[in-house]
Amino acid sequence: MINFAQKILYQFKEYFILLFLVLICLLLISNSENSKAKKLKAFAIANFAVVEKLSSSFISLFVKDESIDELKKQNAILMLELEKVRKAEKENEELREMLSIKDTSSYNLIPTNIVSKLTNKFQGNFVIDKGSNDGIIKGMPVINTKGLAGIVMDVTENFSVVKTLYNTSLNIAVNIKRTNVNGILNFNGRNLIVKNIPTTYDVKEGDEVVTSDFSTAFPPSIPIGVIEKKELNMLGLLHTLYVKPFSDVNTSHFLFVIKVVPSKQINNLEMNLIKKP
Amino acid sequence: MINYLKPILIFIPILIIQLVVIPLISVYEIVPQLILLLLVYYTLIGGQIYGMILGFIFGLFFDLFSNGVLGASALAMTISMFIVGYFYSENRITENISTYLFLFYLFISSVIYFLIYSEVGNFNPDTKLRVILFEGTFLPAVYTTLFGILLVVFQSKRKFE
Repeated sequence: MINFAQKILYQFKEYFILLFLVLICLLLISNSENSKAKKLKAFAIANFAVVEKLSSSFISLFVKDESIDELKKQNAILMLELEKVRKAEKENEELREMLSIKDTSSYNLIPTNIVSKLTNKFQGNFVIDKGSNDGIIKGMPVINTKGLAGIVMDVTENFSVVKTLYNTSLNIAVNIKRTNVNGILNFNGRNLIVKNIPTTYDVKEGDEVVTSDFSTAFPPSIPIGVIEKKELNMLGLLHTLYVKPFSDVNTSHFLFVIKVVPSKQINNLEMNLIKKP
Repeated sequence: MINYLKPILIFIPILIIQLVVIPLISVYEIVPQLILLLLVYYTLIGGQIYGMILGFIFGLFFDLFSNGVLGASALAMTISMFIVGYFYSENRITENISTYLFLFYLFISSVIYFLIYSEVGNFNPDTKLRVILFEGTFLPAVYTTLFGILLVVFQSKRKFE
């Protein structure tokens, strides 16, 4: 009997090894969001990012110009301020007597360099060269000079992982500025889309899409993009909106982390939504 | 005794290139997977089991350092090396790695790898199948195969020398 089992095992050893390895992989995939797995990934990234940083700083000799860093930061701050002013103006018109409803304090930006990118078609992840030592915490929004770029998902002492707009697991509460229509933006592998917008809502191509007031993960009114086209669903009751982003996230070399500390309780709920779409 | 040390030592700089340099040459977010080149090469030299084990190890490290879904690359690389392993022949090693047959094997393994990796790494159920098949699988596989040409040219030169 043992001989027979040994014979079978030897004859089909490739299949048994494959089965064994596949089982381990499936076990790892199912526990990928587990805190222990995340700690292991964070540990690996923190150590490897040092090597990546050295390599990328060598490469950035050809693409980076230190003198424009500050200007880029200023540009990003101005972009955010401009959006706030525009929003305030609209609110003034609507509410007349009520002024400065929203928080008027300025955004505190942390400039960062991208150390490495995982530009897989479906998993847009960047590693940036600032971490908890610089005051970055999980859940902080990330922008570039033109608009929203993503969200901080994992933080180590000196490095952080940013989930970009081009990640199929990221869902963002958005608002169509002109008509104040809200929706959820996500990436479908090719485009940024906002699904299930009723056809009765006033939405036009060219309308600007910004982060919504309902989102506590992101400050309101951060520009994301414009509606490129709208598509009717099969029943003709709902629209799918295709959003063209302002920021070309994948070609960015510098990003800014907005140092906002959202409500922890609500933020935890939102982070759960991001994890499990 | 098959040597695991040499491929692992070569893997380290390739991993750095894959994560730091390769994104700079992405075309519409389509990136080649250089690690597959190494894996297919060693599978055609060392056989199916050797390739699968290397695929699992390399995939796991790639997942860890790229912050991808842990196990996704390991799964995709293990299965793709299992398939490539069928092309292994002790008598045709030089022919397999230094002729354009290598590109064929590389393309097949890339298609399998990207198909599995795209499926496992994609969280959006709205993603259309043609996006997964064409942009997530076929185009990156072609891009990866183009890099294989360099290896084939290098190997054929060595063969003639």
